[in-house]
Amino acid sequence: MSVSLDKPQIISHIQKSLNYTVFDTKWIPCSAKFVCMGNFARGTGVIQVYEVQQGEVLLIKEIEKSKPIKCGTFGFTSLQQRYLATGDFGGGLNVWNLETPDVPVYSVNAHKEIINAIDGVGGLGIGDGAPEIVTGSRDGTVKVWDPRQKESPVANMEPAEGEAKRDCWTVAFGHAFNEQDRCVCAGYDNGDIKLFDLRNMSLRWETNIKNGVCCVEFDRKDISMNKLVATSLEGKFHVFDMRTQHPSKGFASVSEKAHKSTVWQVRHLPQNRDIFITAGGSGSLNLWKYEYPVQRSKKDADNIDMGVAGLVGLLQNVTLSTQPISSLDWSPDKQGLCVCSAFDQTVRVLIVTKLNRV
Amino acid sequence: MPLLIKDYTWTQTESMIYITVPLKEARAGKVDILSADEYLKVSAPPFLFEAFLSAPVDDSKSAAKIGDGEIVFTLHKREGAIWEHLVLQNVEKENLQNIRQNAILKAQENALKEAEAKAAKKKANEKYALETIMKIEEDQRKKIEEIKEVERRRAAEELERWKEKQRIEAEHKVAQQKLERQKLEAEKRNTNGVKDLPKSDTQTGTKTAQSKKPLVVSLPPPRSAGTIQINFTPRVFPTALRESLVPEEEEWLKKQADAGKALNNDLSELKDLTEEEKNPEWLKEKGNKLFASQNYLAAVNAYNLAIKLNSKLPSLFLNRAACHLKLRNLHKAIEDSSRALELLTPPVPDNSESRVKAHIRRGTAFCELELYVEGLQDYDAALKINPHNKTVAADAEKIRQVIQGTVPSS
Repeated sequence: MSVSLDKPQIISHIQKSLNYTVFDTKWIPCSAKFVCMGNFARGTGVIQVYEVQQGEVLLIKEIEKSKPIKCGTFGFTSLQQRYLATGDFGGGLNVWNLETPDVPVYSVNAHKEIINAIDGVGGLGIGDGAPEIVTGSRDGTVKVWDPRQKESPVANMEPAEGEAKRDCWTVAFGHAFNEQDRCVCAGYDNGDIKLFDLRNMSLRWETNIKNGVCCVEFDRKDISMNKLVATSLEGKFHVFDMRTQHPSKGFASVSEKAHKSTVWQVRHLPQNRDIFITAGGSGSLNLWKYEYPVQRSKKDADNIDMGVAGLVGLLQNVTLSTQPISSLDWSPDKQGLCVCSAFDQTVRVLIVTKLNRV
Repeated sequence: MPLLIKDYTWTQTESMIYITVPLKEARAGKVDILSADEYLKVSAPPFLFEAFLSAPVDDSKSAAKIGDGEIVFTLHKREGAIWEHLVLQNVEKENLQNIRQNAILKAQENALKEAEAKAAKKKANEKYALETIMKIEEDQRKKIEEIKEVERRRAAEELERWKEKQRIEAEHKVAQQKLERQKLEAEKRNTNGVKDLPKSDTQTGTKTAQSKKPLVVSLPPPRSAGTIQINFTPRVFPTALRESLVPEEEEWLKKQADAGKALNNDLSELKDLTEEEKNPEWLKEKGNKLFASQNYLAAVNAYNLAIKLNSKLPSLFLNRAACHLKLRNLHKAIEDSSRALELLTPPVPDNSESRVKAHIRRGTAFCELELYVEGLQDYDAALKINPHNKTVAADAEKIRQVIQGTVPSS
C-alpha cells in the first residue's frame, strides 16, 4: 500500500458550483486568484475573479459582457499590468484590465466567427521579444496580434483562394527563444496540424493525425522547440519530438490512447516540462511523464537525421466529474496547484502532490 | 442368496457389548454397515451378518472397527443390564421384518438429519468467512482513506503557508517602497548630504531602490505584417474527422459516385428525346418546377423518365413520393419513400435531411390510409434523426392521440 502512495496524488481541494457554463479558467500570475470565463444562460458573457482562501474560493469580482467568452490568456502581459485577453463568440478579441473592466484596453473584430482558441507570448517575464496574441477561429484563419498595433494582425494564416475552410480548434505559441524567433502551431477539425514560422512567415511543417485536433501545446514557449503534445478526438494524443525535423518524414512521434473519449486539454507543468496532464471527455484527468529515448536522433537509410520518440508513462489518474473537463491551468507560482473547469458548471482547485519526487 | 455369518463371538459388561464378526475374504472398503438402536447388519458381499439385539443400544455412541479380517463392534447399552442372549430369540418373521424396516427408516432419517446439519454448518462457516473478509477489506479501505485525508490536509496547510508567505513578502515590498520614497524625499531636502537618514538604509533598501526604477526594457517593434496561405487536407463532410466513422463515410461517398455514373442509355424510347431530356438532373429540375406549379401528373412523368435513366438517385424517389402524396396515390407514395430510404443507407449526418423528408412523407401516406401505427413509427424515426423539428413533433403527438382514441380522426 505504501508503494502506491509514493505516486503523485491528485487531490480535489475545493469545488465550486457555478450558475453559468464555464469555458476557460486561468490563474492570475503571482497571486492566489484565478479567473473563470463563460456565458450566462441569458446569452451574455461573464468573467469572474475568485481567490483561494482557507479551503474555499471567494468571489472577488464579476464582470458581465455582451458576448459570451470562449477563451482567455495572460501570456502576453507584463507582471505589473496583468491584463487578460479574451476571445468571444462573435469573433472579437479584447484585452481587459481587471481593475477597470468597463472599457477594454485593446479591442478588435478579429474574426468573422467564434474564436475557439487563444494564446499569448512575450509577457510575464518569460522570454524576450514583442508581446503577441494568437487567435484561431471557426472561420479557418489563425491571426497573430500585437497589442500595440491597432486593427490589423501582424500575421494571418488563411486558406488559399477558393479553398474550403476548416474550423481551427486550437493554437499555441512556441520556439520563442530569442527576440525574433516565434512559431505558432494550429490544430484543425479535419486532423491537420500546421506549424508556422513567424520569422520567415512560412509554413514549416504540417501533418494529419486522422482525428480532429482538440488541443496542442509546446512543453515550453520560451525555449527552442523541444516537445509538442497534440490531443484529438477518439481518445488519442500524440507527443512529437521537435528537436529533429526530417525533410520528408517530419517529426518523430509517439501516440497513446487514453480516457476512452475525446481528450479535451493537455497542459504541461510549468516547473517540469516532462510532466503533463490530459483532461478527457469522461471527466477524468491523467498525469503523464515523458521519458526521453537513449538517443534523440538517429540516421536513416539516406544518412539524414531523423528524430526518435520516447515513451509516455501514466503516473496517476482520477475521475472528477461525469462531464468533459474543458479547461485546466497549472499555477505558475506553486508547483502542483491547478484549477480546472468542467461542463457540469463547476470549477475545481486541485493539488497534485509529490511532483518533486517524480 | 448372501451367506449368513453365524460364527461371531460376543462379550459384555454392565454397560457395553463387544461383538466380533469375522470377515472372510472381504476387504474393509467393501463393507457396508447399517446400524440402528435394535438392529445391526453388516453386508460384505457375498456375506451377510444380521443381529436383532435383545435390548436397545445407543446407536450414536456405538462404534465399529474394521480391520484384520474382522469387525469389532463396541455398543453402549441403553440400560445397564446383563443380556442373556445377544439376539432376540423366537421372534416371528413378521416382527423381524418390522424391526428391519424400522431400522432402515431410522438410518435414513439419521442420514438426512446429518446431511442437513452439515449443510447448515457449512453455510454458517461460509457466512462467517465472508464477514471476516468484508471486515478486513473495509479496514484496508479506511486506512487508505485516512492516508489520503492526511495528504490532503497537509497539502492544504502547505498552500495556506505559501499564501501567507506571499502576503508577507508583498507587505515587505510595500513597506520598503515607502521607506525608499521617504529616503528620496529626505535626500531632496538635505542636499548638503548630512547623513541623518535612518539606519535601514544600509540594508538592501538602497539596492532595491535602484532596481525599482522602472526597467525601461525596450520591446522590439511590432512584427511587419505577413500572410501565409494554407491548404487543408481535403474533406467532403463539414463535420470533424473521426477515425471510427471513416469507413461509413467512404461507403456513402462511393454510393453517391456510383449513382451519378449509372446512366441507362440504351433504352429504345430515348431515341426521340432531346439531349437535355436525357439528363436526369435536368429532368429532376423540370419535375420540381412542375410540382411547384401544381402540375403533379406532369411532374410524375418527368421523375419517371429520370428514374428510368438513373435509378440510383434517392432524391428522385423522394420527390416522386411527394407528387404521389398530392395526387393521393398513397401506396405509390409509400413505395417511393421506402425506395428512397433504401438508397439513403448508410446513415450519415450528410443525408439526415433527406431521410427526415422520406420518413415524413411515408408517415403522412400511412396516416391518410388510416394505418396510424405505421405512420407514428415513421414520424418517430424522423424525430429521432432531427429532434428539433417542431412541426414533426406536433404531428407525432396528434397521431398518438388519434391512436389512443382521445381525438376523433380528421
